[in-house]
Amino acid sequence: MAQVQRTPEKFDVLVVGSGAGGGTAVHVLTAKGISCALLEAGPMLNPAREYKEHKWPHDYDHRGAEEGGKAYFGEGKPFGFFSTTSGGWQLEGEPYTVAAGSQFQWFRSRILGGRTNHYGRMSFRFADYDFKPYSRDGLGQDWPITYDDLAPYYDKAEEFIGVVGTTEGLRSAPDGKFHTPPPPRVHEVLTQKACKKLGIPCIPNRRAVITRSINGRPACHYCGQCGRGCVTASNYSSSQVQIFPAMRTGKLKIFDNAMVREVLTDGSGKATGVVYIDKQTRQEREIRARVVILAASACESSRILLNSKTKEFPNGVANGSGLVGRYLMDTVGFGLSGFVPALEGMQRYDTDGAGGGHMYMPWWLWDQHAKLDFPRGYHIEFGGGYSMPGIGSFTGRARQMGYGKEMKKAIRQGYGTNVGFAGRGEMIPNIHSYCEIDPNVVDQWGIPVLRFHFKWTDYEWKQARHMEKTFAEIIETMGGRVTGLSAAQRESDGISVPGTIIHEVGTARMGANAGNSVLNGYCQTHDVKNLYVMDGASFVSNPDKNPTLTINALAWRGCDYLAEEMRKGNV
Amino acid sequence: MSKLVQLEGIGRREIVRGLALALTSAGSLDLEAAQHVHTETAADKKKTGGVYKPKALTDHEYKTVSRLAELIVPADEVSGSGVDAGAPEFIDLLASQNAKLADIYHGGLAWLDAEMRRRNKTTFLAAAPAAQTGMLDVLVAAEREERTRRGEELVYQRSADYRNFAGYTTKRPGEFGPGVVFFDWVRRMTVDAFYTSPMGVKDIGYVGNRSYSKYEVPQAALDYAIKRSPFANG
Repeated sequence: MAQVQRTPEKFDVLVVGSGAGGGTAVHVLTAKGISCALLEAGPMLNPAREYKEHKWPHDYDHRGAEEGGKAYFGEGKPFGFFSTTSGGWQLEGEPYTVAAGSQFQWFRSRILGGRTNHYGRMSFRFADYDFKPYSRDGLGQDWPITYDDLAPYYDKAEEFIGVVGTTEGLRSAPDGKFHTPPPPRVHEVLTQKACKKLGIPCIPNRRAVITRSINGRPACHYCGQCGRGCVTASNYSSSQVQIFPAMRTGKLKIFDNAMVREVLTDGSGKATGVVYIDKQTRQEREIRARVVILAASACESSRILLNSKTKEFPNGVANGSGLVGRYLMDTVGFGLSGFVPALEGMQRYDTDGAGGGHMYMPWWLWDQHAKLDFPRGYHIEFGGGYSMPGIGSFTGRARQMGYGKEMKKAIRQGYGTNVGFAGRGEMIPNIHSYCEIDPNVVDQWGIPVLRFHFKWTDYEWKQARHMEKTFAEIIETMGGRVTGLSAAQRESDGISVPGTIIHEVGTARMGANAGNSVLNGYCQTHDVKNLYVMDGASFVSNPDKNPTLTINALAWRGCDYLAEEMRKGNV
Repeated sequence: MSKLVQLEGIGRREIVRGLALALTSAGSLDLEAAQHVHTETAADKKKTGGVYKPKALTDHEYKTVSRLAELIVPADEVSGSGVDAGAPEFIDLLASQNAKLADIYHGGLAWLDAEMRRRNKTTFLAAAPAAQTGMLDVLVAAEREERTRRGEELVYQRSADYRNFAGYTTKRPGEFGPGVVFFDWVRRMTVDAFYTSPMGVKDIGYVGNRSYSKYEVPQAALDYAIKRSPFANG
C-alpha cells in the first residue's frame, strides 16, 4: 500500500462539506481572519457552464427528456433536466442500504454548495415553542438552547443571505429581517381568500431571494427559475453567496473531489485532522488542522463519526452516548391538487415571479392540540399558474382526452387552472428511525456505507390525514374540486416516502447532557472539544420549518463560539 | 435560437453586468457557452437542405409516426400540428440514442400495421383517414375501459413528487394491450414535442422566461378570477 500523503499545510479549521453549514462556517471564520480548508466530495461549481437558467426546452433536441429520453424511463435528473447540478437519490459507486421492512431514500449532493444550489429556499425561523417540544407534550427532547439564544443569529443569517417576507406577529412563524416580497399571483389571492374563510393564515412566503441589491448581488429579476441555479446569485446558495466571496479573503483553500473517510485523533481526546480519498487519483490523503468541523449533511457526518473508530473511541469518535445515527427524522409530506374553475379563460400573464410560492400558510393550530389527534403541526406550501411547458406537462390531460382537436382545446383551456398544495409537517423522533454502518458493504472508495432504518408512526399518518382534509377544504372553498390523488392511491400512498422531502436531520443531536446527546448547544461534540458538527445532524426535533435557515443560524452561532474558544486557547 | 434573457424593464447591459459579476466569482466566464446552444438536429438539417433524415426509424416507420403526430395534435385555427412542431424528429432522434425506445417504436408500429392489415388489408399509413382515426378510437376506448375497470383516475404514475420512483405501471390486458401501450408512448412524446416547441408555447400562451426589475400581477386578471369565484361578493 502506498504511503498516505499528508498535505503539508496546517489549517486553523478544516470544514467537511460545502452546503448551508459548511458555507456559513467558512464565511464566518475567514471573515475573522481564521484560515480554513474546505473539503467537498464533489467537483467545483461553475455556474456559467452548469446553470440552465433562461433556457427553453426547444434549445435542446431532447427538449428536456435528456439523451435517449431518459426522463421517460425514470432515469432522468431528479428534478428534471433543467434543475441545477445537484446529485441524486442514488450515486454511482456510492451506495447505501436499507434494512428489511424499512423504506428510506437518501438524497446526496456532490458539488460545491451541495443542495443549496437547487433547494426550495424556504426560510422559516423555528418558533419559541419549537425549542421546547418535550416540555410541551412530553415527546422527544428539548433543545439545550432557546429561541432567544438563536434569534440574533437568525437576524445575521437573514441579513446576509437575504430573505423576503413580512412582519406578521404570529407566534408559530416569528418575524425576521426581510426584503419586500413579490405580490401574490391570482391563484394565490384566491387561496388566501379561501383560507380567510377557514381561519387559516395565508401570508407572504419567506424565501431566500433578494428584492434589493446586497453585497454586490443584483436583485431578483423574476424569471422564477431558482431551481436551475441563479446566475445573478439573487437567491441564496452557499457556493455563490458564501464560498466564492470567502475565497477572495485569501484565507480559504478548497479541496474538491475529496471524499472524507474518518476523523483523526491523537489518542488524548483531540482531533488532529481527517483522512480523505482524492477521487481523481484514488490516493488516500491526510489534512491536519487545529479544529475539525463536519458539515457533510446529517447522515454523511454521522457516517464519518461512526467510521472513525480507535481504541479510545471504539464506537466511533464523539459517540460516547451511543446516539450517533439515532433519531433520524425527515419531514412529513403530503400533496393534493385541485381544478379551480374561476381561473379558466383568464388572460395569460407571467406567473414566474420570484420562483416558488409567493404565499404560504404557517401552522395555525399550535395552541389547539386538545382538539387534534396528532402532536405538533405543519405548514402549507402551494403552487399554480402558467408554468413553462416541459416534458410531461400535459401528459395527464392528453390521456384523459384521447387525441385530436378536442384534446388540444382541453389542454389550452386547462392550462394554469390547477392549484397544488403540499403539507410539510413535524415528525416525532422515534427509536425505529436511524442509520448505522452496514457491516458488509463498502463504497467504491472502500468506505463502509450507511444502512437505514425508518418508520412513520401514527403521529405522522394522522397528521397527513389532517393535511388531506384541510387541502380538500381549501380547494372546495375556492370553488374547485380535488383532482390529485384517487382514493386507492391515498390508501397506499398517503404519506411521503421517508427521505424524499430531503429534510433528513437528527443523528447527532445536541443536548445539555453528554450521556443523552452528541453535541452541546454550540454544535461542539461533548467528547472531543475541537470537533464540531454544523449540519442538520444537530437537530433535536424537526419542526415544520424547513431546516436550512436554522442550519445557517446554528453554524453561525457555533463559529462565533469556536472563534472565541480559539482566541482563549481552549481549543 | 436560445434567448439568454428576454429583456423587459431593465437594460441588457445591466443583465450582462450582473451576470459577469456573478460569473467572475466562479473564476470563469463563459458567456459564449451560456448564450449559444448548438443543436444536432439543426446542424443535420443544414447538411440536407432543411430535411430531417431519420436515424432510427425506416422511411415507412417515420412516415407512420408523422401521420400519427398529425392525428394526435392536428393543426387547428390556433396553431399547427405535431409534425409542424417537430415531433417525428424528436421521437426519431431519441430512439436513435436508446435501443429500448427504438424497440418500442419498431414493435409498436409493426403491431399497428398488422392490426390495420387484419382489418383493412393495408398498412396504417396507407389506410383511409377514417380507418386511421377509427383505429385510434378503438385504442382510446380500450384505454378508458381499463381506467374505469380499475376505478382510478391515475393508473399511470404517482403524483409529480414521486415521478422518479418506481411508480404505477400500466398493465392493460386484452387484445389491444400492445396498441394501447404504444399509442400512449407516441401520444405523450408528440404532446411533449408540440408544447415544448415555440409553436406550442404560443398556443397555450406561456409568456414567462423573461426578466423584470419589478414583478406585477395584472389587475384585470385578478378581477376576472375573483368575479368568477365564490368571493365575488367579498
